[in-house]
Amino acid sequence: MSEMVKSSVKIDPITVEIIQNSMRAITEEMFATMRKTAMSSIIYEVLDFGVAMFDAQGQLASSGSGIPGFIGMLEPGVKSVLEKFDKPDAIREGDVFMTNIPHHGGVSHLNDVVLILPVYHEGTLIGWLANKAHWVDVGGSFPGSISADALDIYQEGLQLPCIKVIEQFTPNQAVIDIFMANSRQPEVSKGDFWAGIASMRAGEKRFKSLVEKYSLQAVAYAIEDYIELGERVARAALKALPKGTFEASEVTDNGLSIKAKITITDEEFLVDLRGNPPTQPNGLNATYDSTMVDAQMLFKAIASPQTFANAGSFRPIRLLVDDDSMFAAKYPAATSVYYENSMMSFDLVWKALALAMPDALTAGHYGSICGTFLGGPHPKTGHSHSIVEPQIGGWGASSKFDGINALYTGFHGETFNVPVEISEQRNGLQIDRLALNDEEGGEGETNGGKGIKLDYRVLTDNWWLTMAYVRSENGPWGLKGGNRGSTNYVNVVRTSGETQRYSVCTALPLNEGDVVQVVTANGGGFGNPANRPKEKVLDDIKNGYVTYERAQEVYGIN
Amino acid sequence: MQTIRAASDIGGTFTDLVYYEMDPKTGMASDIKAVKAHTTPSEFQQGVLNSLEKANIPLEELTFFAHGSTVVINALTERKGVKTALITTKGFRDVLEIARGNRPDFFNLQYRKPDAFIPRHLRYEITERLSYNGDVISPLAISELEPLLTNMQKEGVQAIAVCLLHSYANPEHEQAIADYIATHWPEVTVVTSHQISREWREYERTNTAALCAYVQPIAAQYLAKMEEALDERGFDGKFYVMQSNGGIDTVESVKKTPISIVESGPASGVLGAAALGKLIGVNNIIAFDIGGTTAKCSLIDNGRVSLTSQYMIEKDERSAGYPLMTPVVDIVEIGNGGGSIGWIDEFNKMHVGPQSAGAFPGPVAYGQGGTSPTTTDANLMLGRINPNYFIGGEIVADMDAVEHAFDTLGTSLDLSAIDTARGVIRLANHNMSNALKLISINRGYDPRDFTLLAFGGGGAMHATVLAKELSIPRVIIPAHASVFSAWGMLMSDLRRDYIRTQPVAFVASKASEISKTLESMRKDALSTYVKEGFEEQDVYFEPLLEMRYVGQEHTVQIDVGTSEITGADIAKLIQDFNKEYEKKYTYFLENDIELVSYKLTAYARIERPTLAKISATGDIQSAIKETRPVDFDESGFVDTVIYDRDKLFANAQFSGPAIVEESGSTTVILPGQQVNVDDYGNLHIEIGA
Repeated sequence: MSEMVKSSVKIDPITVEIIQNSMRAITEEMFATMRKTAMSSIIYEVLDFGVAMFDAQGQLASSGSGIPGFIGMLEPGVKSVLEKFDKPDAIREGDVFMTNIPHHGGVSHLNDVVLILPVYHEGTLIGWLANKAHWVDVGGSFPGSISADALDIYQEGLQLPCIKVIEQFTPNQAVIDIFMANSRQPEVSKGDFWAGIASMRAGEKRFKSLVEKYSLQAVAYAIEDYIELGERVARAALKALPKGTFEASEVTDNGLSIKAKITITDEEFLVDLRGNPPTQPNGLNATYDSTMVDAQMLFKAIASPQTFANAGSFRPIRLLVDDDSMFAAKYPAATSVYYENSMMSFDLVWKALALAMPDALTAGHYGSICGTFLGGPHPKTGHSHSIVEPQIGGWGASSKFDGINALYTGFHGETFNVPVEISEQRNGLQIDRLALNDEEGGEGETNGGKGIKLDYRVLTDNWWLTMAYVRSENGPWGLKGGNRGSTNYVNVVRTSGETQRYSVCTALPLNEGDVVQVVTANGGGFGNPANRPKEKVLDDIKNGYVTYERAQEVYGIN
Repeated sequence: MQTIRAASDIGGTFTDLVYYEMDPKTGMASDIKAVKAHTTPSEFQQGVLNSLEKANIPLEELTFFAHGSTVVINALTERKGVKTALITTKGFRDVLEIARGNRPDFFNLQYRKPDAFIPRHLRYEITERLSYNGDVISPLAISELEPLLTNMQKEGVQAIAVCLLHSYANPEHEQAIADYIATHWPEVTVVTSHQISREWREYERTNTAALCAYVQPIAAQYLAKMEEALDERGFDGKFYVMQSNGGIDTVESVKKTPISIVESGPASGVLGAAALGKLIGVNNIIAFDIGGTTAKCSLIDNGRVSLTSQYMIEKDERSAGYPLMTPVVDIVEIGNGGGSIGWIDEFNKMHVGPQSAGAFPGPVAYGQGGTSPTTTDANLMLGRINPNYFIGGEIVADMDAVEHAFDTLGTSLDLSAIDTARGVIRLANHNMSNALKLISINRGYDPRDFTLLAFGGGGAMHATVLAKELSIPRVIIPAHASVFSAWGMLMSDLRRDYIRTQPVAFVASKASEISKTLESMRKDALSTYVKEGFEEQDVYFEPLLEMRYVGQEHTVQIDVGTSEITGADIAKLIQDFNKEYEKKYTYFLENDIELVSYKLTAYARIERPTLAKISATGDIQSAIKETRPVDFDESGFVDTVIYDRDKLFANAQFSGPAIVEESGSTTVILPGQQVNVDDYGNLHIEIGA
């Protein structure tokens, strides 16, 4: 397919359109299959997984994802296979590759296990399929394999350095035995592994039949045309954006100053993250590839949010970042909490552009994945198990609307929270409350949206909690005089009544009767609160979104 | 004396009435007759009465009347329900507003979440708590109700939804609240979540109860008016209402929880397909309905209509929509119909739909000023629709305008008018075939095991091409295709679906517990029917189990045949589950299996007539209208014989290329395909390889 030169063939435009529609259908089917077969809620509810198809050179052609944060992630993974296995016949039909080392490309922390499958038609490599999913445990020092306290990647779990797990249709049982032996939840790992394979097999069947029906030449042409179309859409959108240089800075919970400078020209969307802090001696590091994905998400949000995304869509983006920094960490830096760095760089670019693009962006949202990891014996069965849950929070106000209450972050998308009724049965915790956050903050002419208060009651001894939230000190930023929002944190209330506030903890012991109160931030406000129309304030009071006293204080009503 | 059975279906423009007379001595039915009256949006029942009058039906001879109505979905989408309050478990009044936290339009950072139907100040909490087993953790503090109700009265609340955590496992607290309100405030509408659903997921169940309460007074009033109007005119028969689950139910039952009829329109078409399949002995069917703006399809496996209880309204790529936990026929709908417009985007890519030319200006061929060519225009351009017999001859198609429109559309792609029209059809067919794949291949079904049953205005036009593309061996174009939905209601039994979430390990030692649950569901369903006057021998059941590997979320449904399950049956059912799972997902596991939900469908048989057959004598030559050139894409224009459907007879046979014309629809038969007409006038088309 590499020798295929687009200008040498002419495929009629209707056939091209049909093949391109079919590509979208292929990744949608892969996505649906994964969701239905996965063993853990982090995959089927949280949608911490992504699937994609590529051309023979590993360029992203189409992706199926419920989460924008994973669209651009898999391309470097396929390219890393092509790099490592660059000898003739090193890649053969029936092979499946497996990788999870962030510094090698295509993945962001060890929990994200990537499966990669080459697709053949009559002996010719015609493209690739890949599937990335968050496995609940890949070993390492800490249950769930995630901790802000990890000093390096060796503490974070099993490394799978781009290996063949299936060779010419024969599974390598040794590899499967090893990854199961290294997981605290081996049956779940095995199930999610086969779910990933099933999802790619479904895509492979469709990919092959597409080539059988329309010819390799037509499909190759359509893929190339599609990627070019992605670039044309992106470049046209870039032209319509306001031009200039935009800057923002923030201070992290650890007191680090972080900053971003974005320069938009007719040709380029340049994200400059140079001058940020070095690689951190903990799990809060992101690799270059994952920081690139954050730039891609923001670019897509302001340029063409409602269109498809492929390799072409991101070509106008250039990212500058210092080597060996918290946004481009070097091996063997720990990266298990990379997603909070992603939130930081995403939020910085967002903040820099917010006032210039008021129709696409809002004031700051709660700005943390709020990954919450709880584990212990189920009171009914005694089996040890763990849950991995990001939390929903408050979004920022826009120039026209109040912020949205209780929604997953901008990194997420079609992510679903776990229903209380299912959570209690599955996890053996009792949930005492799921309510909107009644704390102050985020008031404006339009208000920031509300975060939540979610109380987990532990029902047996020997449970543990791991979490690392950001924006625990400074709430989400307001715009044009709108107030900052509130903060993200956890209160652990012991049976003695003693209460301790946490923004970071690792394997904190919990016993029967302890309550973990998750509190997520209210988003930032927009405009001076004194300008909020009185009838809206009265409506807020009636609905209990604000108390009368607080309304007097910030909106000045009487 | 003859008796008459009739069914009426209210559509956007027309109210259809389908009926036949039945000789009670012989059980033989007359030919099926149909009339159309204009739909009367302000007072829907008037349109129905008009249609009965138009058909000249003496209401005292009407013994069976089934009715399909859009009253519930209209009240929801137009936000014309009543002021509704919610009572829920302490700590959870925001569940309705929090929803699930998802954002389908995932690159968009200015997403708008759909507003809850009940504002925060009308969502009340009450002290009580159940566990997931249904055990009482905190008793219900019934004394808290009085001030809440007083407050609601002050606010002018007309309906109350009650949804408590884990009420699917134990409905006693919800029931106690409903009983209290019935005693202390009998005028207000109360809908409890367990009346509608015994499945878990509190947001979905709360939203369902909320929306049901919101529309209940509107729907009940409408049905009462309809009953009254019929009674005044001497009606003394049975009045049934079409539900979204593909069956009818009594009007009394529907009035209590009318959310069950939210999608009755599309469901009745699928029901028609299932009923026809039963009549002519075809069990595996893909029902396919092409209308003006959309195409809908649904799969019938071994005579069973597929249902979902995770139905959404107002959900699309931009919005999370609202879930309804009520059984709805599982239909995939896409924005491609006869009126869908072909267009070119700013990047010079051609698309068809979802925008539709609607009734005005309609397709270019209508000559009402439309300039954007539609799928219907493309079918005219290719000679598949007869320009001189357009909409049954009501309009002469403006073919100059059609050709000009395709010429213009194709310019930037360098395509001729005819190639552009072919392109529109190919794209429309591609969109439709994707929808058909979604309900078949993607769910582990092999299209080669199915028959494509196509209806609606455009179904017959596209069916044979799609069947060929998907290797579906046979297509059926039913007689009465244009009133197929109403016809389905006439052929229906009563249907009630019960689902109960009650997770249990699927092992031999639990067999008696599993059996007990199914048996108690069966007895409850039976006694409800018997109380309503149905005979026990007319009630029959279909029990199913929803199972999964421990840890998974999605379930696979297993047919158990009977509610009596022994320890020995468990091993066999585990095998069935693994087999079904492997069919869907290419692998199976040795892992533990969990039963999540019990499903029981309870039918009550309704006496049905023997349908009249059409004449078996005739001359195929006399059914030929003309020969004209028709474009079949790859084969180009081919001289094609045009048949008049009204002149076809039982056992008539002919082969393609051919076109069969009738007043509301055109059937396209590709070169080499073989057509047989059956005893009831349905066309059976063998697709060939």
